[in-house]
Amino acid sequence: MVTAAAEQALGLGEWAVSRTPGEVLTCLGLGSCVAIAIHDASVPVAGMAHMVLPDSTAGRTSSASPAKFVDLAVPILVAAMVEAGAQPARMRIALVGGASMLEVPGRPNTMQIGDRNVVAARAALAARGFAPREEHVGGTNGRTLRLHVATGQVDVSTAGQRG
Amino acid sequence: MSDTDAGPWAELVQLGTKKAMQGLSEMIGADIEVNDLSLKCVPVTEVSGAFGGREKDAVGIYLSVSGSADGHLMLMYEPRIALAFVDLLMGQPISTTDSLDGMGRSALGEMGNVIGAFFLNAIADATGLALSPSPPSVMTDMAGALLDVVSADILLTQDDTYIAEATFRVHGQDISGVFMVMPTQELFETIIASTKVA
Repeated sequence: MVTAAAEQALGLGEWAVSRTPGEVLTCLGLGSCVAIAIHDASVPVAGMAHMVLPDSTAGRTSSASPAKFVDLAVPILVAAMVEAGAQPARMRIALVGGASMLEVPGRPNTMQIGDRNVVAARAALAARGFAPREEHVGGTNGRTLRLHVATGQVDVSTAGQRG
Repeated sequence: MSDTDAGPWAELVQLGTKKAMQGLSEMIGADIEVNDLSLKCVPVTEVSGAFGGREKDAVGIYLSVSGSADGHLMLMYEPRIALAFVDLLMGQPISTTDSLDGMGRSALGEMGNVIGAFFLNAIADATGLALSPSPPSVMTDMAGALLDVVSADILLTQDDTYIAEATFRVHGQDISGVFMVMPTQELFETIIASTKVA
């Protein structure tokens, strides 16, 4: 896999907004993590967040990356999109990830984290009047998400499918 | 997790890894020479860097740890290394296995059992704690997706974790992989407290 120079890969708990045509925002190897991709073609502007956990109130870290939590990342990303010129009514949103990579006996939190992330993301979007137009969620396979800033094209691939 | 505590933890991980390799050596009936073992404290968000990136194909053998405290053990290998292990475990020439079938997964699971049990027993013996591994889960996917299994749980309580990278030599061949011992904050503190008492 050769990563194009224009790709901006977001790690765990990172988010980004881009108005650079030709740039591609990516989340590589999403397992139980969930990513939101937002695009407004009229600008064009694209935004993405790579979220790990559903709920900041359950966390006990003094982390400097609030975007690892779905409930904090969604408002941050939406606000940043608006600041970059996006209009809420024109935002197209894709929700990707939230797989169950394995079932661990006695560790229900680990087992359900993917599902909980998806539920939290839908709820955080709905609270702001949004609904994903496209979803690639659940299942047992990891995914890679790419969002093209210029066109809003969303590419989702799984292990062994990358070209 | 402080630098002061890293010393005793590093000693325990080295002890556990040495014992785990002894167990693996007995299992495959061949000497295993550990060439290099490095222990690093890294941000959880950067763990996949140790494996060459989140999108890289990987085979993971995962065991959760329970008992005196909870934690995670994850062995991660490039697919070709995992297939080489299957050959070693099945007593056949390396490169015989070219894909991971049910038998191969079962063999890798057994390897996870042995490594997990020897590793945790060594730490339990040294600290007096009760630590037991879960049955192993063998997974094939992108490295980042496999790491999410442990990253989410670890990030709930802390930002950094310890990983051990080991290179060893079996039958004249170098085999490298990442052996991730990712203690939760609770397990780390419990273990360090026990070494201070002992």
